[in-house]
Amino acid sequence: MVQPTRLFIISLCMILSCIALAGSASAAVEVYNSSIEMGNGYQINNYVIDVTDVFVSANSASFYVYEQNKEVKNILLNTGDFFEFDFEGRGKVKVTLRTVSSGIIPRAGVSIVLSNYNYQSLYKNDIVNGGHEFATYSGTPELRMSKTIDKSEIGVGDIVRVTVTVENVGDDKAVDVIFQDPQQARFLLYETFVTHSGQTTVDVGESKTLYVYQLKATEAGTYTLSPTTASFSNTAGQKFPLASSNSPVVTVGASEDLVNAELEVTTILDRYAVSRNEDIQGTIRIKNTGDAPATGVTVSVQVPDGMELIGSSDIETISGVPTIYLESFGVQQEREFSFTLKPQEVGTYTLSVQNSYRFNNGVDAQLQQVSSSSVTENIYVSKGKYDYLFEQPIYVYLVPLLIIGLIAGWIYYRHKQYKF
Amino acid sequence: MLNILIVGNGQCGNRILDAINRESFGKKSRFAKYLSQQKYKSNVQTIAINTAVNDLKEMKFTKAKDRIHIPHLHGVGANRNVGKHVFEDNKTHIMRQIEERGDFDVCFVITSASGGTGSSFTPMLIKEMKSKYDYPVYSIVVLPFREEGTLYLQNAAFCLRDIRESGSDGIILADNQFLKQMGGNVESAYNGINDMIARRILFLLDALDSEMMMVTDLGDFKTVMNGGAGLATIGFYEAGADIPVRSAIQKALSPSGLLFSSDVYEEASRAMIIIRGDRERLSIDEISTEVEKLSSAVGHVFKGIIVRDGELPQVLAVLTLESASELENLYSVAVDAIKHERDKKERVSTIKEVDKAFSQIDGMDPSY
Ligand SMILES: Nc1nc2c(ncn2[C@@H]2O[C@H](COP(=O)(O)OP(=O)(O)O)[C@@H](O)[C@H]2O)c(=O)[nH]1
Ligand SMILES: [Mg+2]
Repeated sequence: MVQPTRLFIISLCMILSCIALAGSASAAVEVYNSSIEMGNGYQINNYVIDVTDVFVSANSASFYVYEQNKEVKNILLNTGDFFEFDFEGRGKVKVTLRTVSSGIIPRAGVSIVLSNYNYQSLYKNDIVNGGHEFATYSGTPELRMSKTIDKSEIGVGDIVRVTVTVENVGDDKAVDVIFQDPQQARFLLYETFVTHSGQTTVDVGESKTLYVYQLKATEAGTYTLSPTTASFSNTAGQKFPLASSNSPVVTVGASEDLVNAELEVTTILDRYAVSRNEDIQGTIRIKNTGDAPATGVTVSVQVPDGMELIGSSDIETISGVPTIYLESFGVQQEREFSFTLKPQEVGTYTLSVQNSYRFNNGVDAQLQQVSSSSVTENIYVSKGKYDYLFEQPIYVYLVPLLIIGLIAGWIYYRHKQYKF
Repeated sequence: MLNILIVGNGQCGNRILDAINRESFGKKSRFAKYLSQQKYKSNVQTIAINTAVNDLKEMKFTKAKDRIHIPHLHGVGANRNVGKHVFEDNKTHIMRQIEERGDFDVCFVITSASGGTGSSFTPMLIKEMKSKYDYPVYSIVVLPFREEGTLYLQNAAFCLRDIRESGSDGIILADNQFLKQMGGNVESAYNGINDMIARRILFLLDALDSEMMMVTDLGDFKTVMNGGAGLATIGFYEAGADIPVRSAIQKALSPSGLLFSSDVYEEASRAMIIIRGDRERLSIDEISTEVEKLSSAVGHVFKGIIVRDGELPQVLAVLTLESASELENLYSVAVDAIKHERDKKERVSTIKEVDKAFSQIDGMDPSY
């Protein structure tokens, strides 16, 4: 267990030495001065110095140097001798064999000095057990992001679909990836199909879809969509600069003077569960919520068998179908038509109401035709109070009627017989 | 099965006839005629005759076709002479009605003795019938309350004589005076008396047409009615649960059981006693004792027993009278009444003198 004071001093020394070395890329730094067991190696970034053999009796040891598994140098050194190799371009590494010692596994005492290199760029600087074969090397993930849109010219109120994908075209896995897709001014996020949040990874060669959403244009103009960005590191924990996508351009056309009539037809019933022969009061409400008047408005009610619809005089029956016909229906106009439904048979029913109308959209010469339909909720008709009477076989009525008739006849006959 | 004709003359006759018809429905309800059928054992025909249409209208249980109205302005009053004229004028019409009903085994004519219509029609009708038909015709005659007035007493006296002379096969007397113990107002007393009479008649009809254990029949009835002075009455008693049949017989023969007050052991000449009821209740010994007691006093007594399971003992006695002290009383009162009426008539003719005073101003006019 390391004592806190000691830990503090070590940290302080390290910080100080860092500060001292910061400015001088060319300064020589001894990155290691200790012994390495035969068969182990020492890794500095992507370079590994393997101690392959230690000959104690000959006071010598052999070294192999690899850059990402590619051998760059091998040499047999006597104690006191050294060798050098180039490190990441301009840097130099100087390895001096200082001692050899025997044991179960012989060891080589080495000093490794790095020069002409920015020490801060060292991300790996350590013994590798088993040598270069067991070293892990770091690469450069490269995230290629693309932002595409399904159409680049739309009108105000129109919708554009945005798709953002990413592909790692680098040689290392991107880890701790955080994507950022900024909100788009002048557009409303209309609907999101695919989205993404939190940290993720992107394997080498992997490509995935990050975002799919629809934007609704609110203002005319030409807009460059903000790029989607990604922050990421490689497997060695090295951070890389933000990757960003392209920025597609959308032109939102100033909308033409399109107008439309929009009729809302609602059917309201005062109740949905009745006994047979009880009346249901209904209302059909028509409202034009659009910005153009409608013409030739037809609303027809499909009355199911077992029900009868008795409408006000505004509802005419055209070939058996109760129908409302309105020659024209102005903007924001609202009208109600009431009717009475008389259920005649027990059952579950719905009313379906169909409407159609035409309007001039202000651009096209031809009238626009709109039709739609709606269905009410279920109407439950149960047995009436006295229905059981009607369910009786005919003799149930006939017999008492006959008896009453006979009695009445008898009384009349007797009355006549005794009437003086 | 016997064919029986019952005729009710005048208001009293009509009402008693209606009571018989109602009683025959077996129920007291006003609606009996809608609920049941008449339970005559015999073929019973009824005819009501009256000059007063209102009396006929009041009847409820007699068929309309059985009610014969003899039109005469406001009836005949209590004037028997007017009544006789009206009958004479309508004789063929009345007789045709009876003729249409066919032949009968026996006929009863019911009337009050003291009214106008009944008391004058009955003797003449019986006379007509007797000259035409062979069947016996008995009259059931209701005597007036003694306090009803001299006119009624006088009518009763003459009526009874006329009926005896008409050839009637017997007169069954019913005396309002002795039946008024029913109490209540006049109307309810009449109804009570009528019911009593009706029940007795129905009982009698039932007995005459029954398969009796010990038989009495129409022949016996005729024999009984032949006896005595042609006057008869009927006694009746229905025994309660704990009254032995012996007492029931005694009660039927006592003045309270009779339609016309009489000491039967003294005045009866022939009798017929019909006892009806549950077998258990009809002790032959008791019946024999009582019947023997009566026959030792009066002569022959016909005895009939009708067994009806579950019925309380009922006793009906038909008695012909040798003498009728009560009738003698009535006649002596009636004689006074006749004298009284005659005096009054004379007085009225002297009062007519008053008219002479008025005649003095005949043809004159007052001058002012
Ligand atoms: N028992 C009885 N006597 C009645 C009834 N109606 C009237 N009388 C009697 O009959 C006498 C009147 O004769 P009534 O029948 O009315 O005269 P008529 O209609 O002219 O024959 C009176 O003495 C009444 O007391 C009745 O319903 N029952
Ligand atoms: Mg009268």
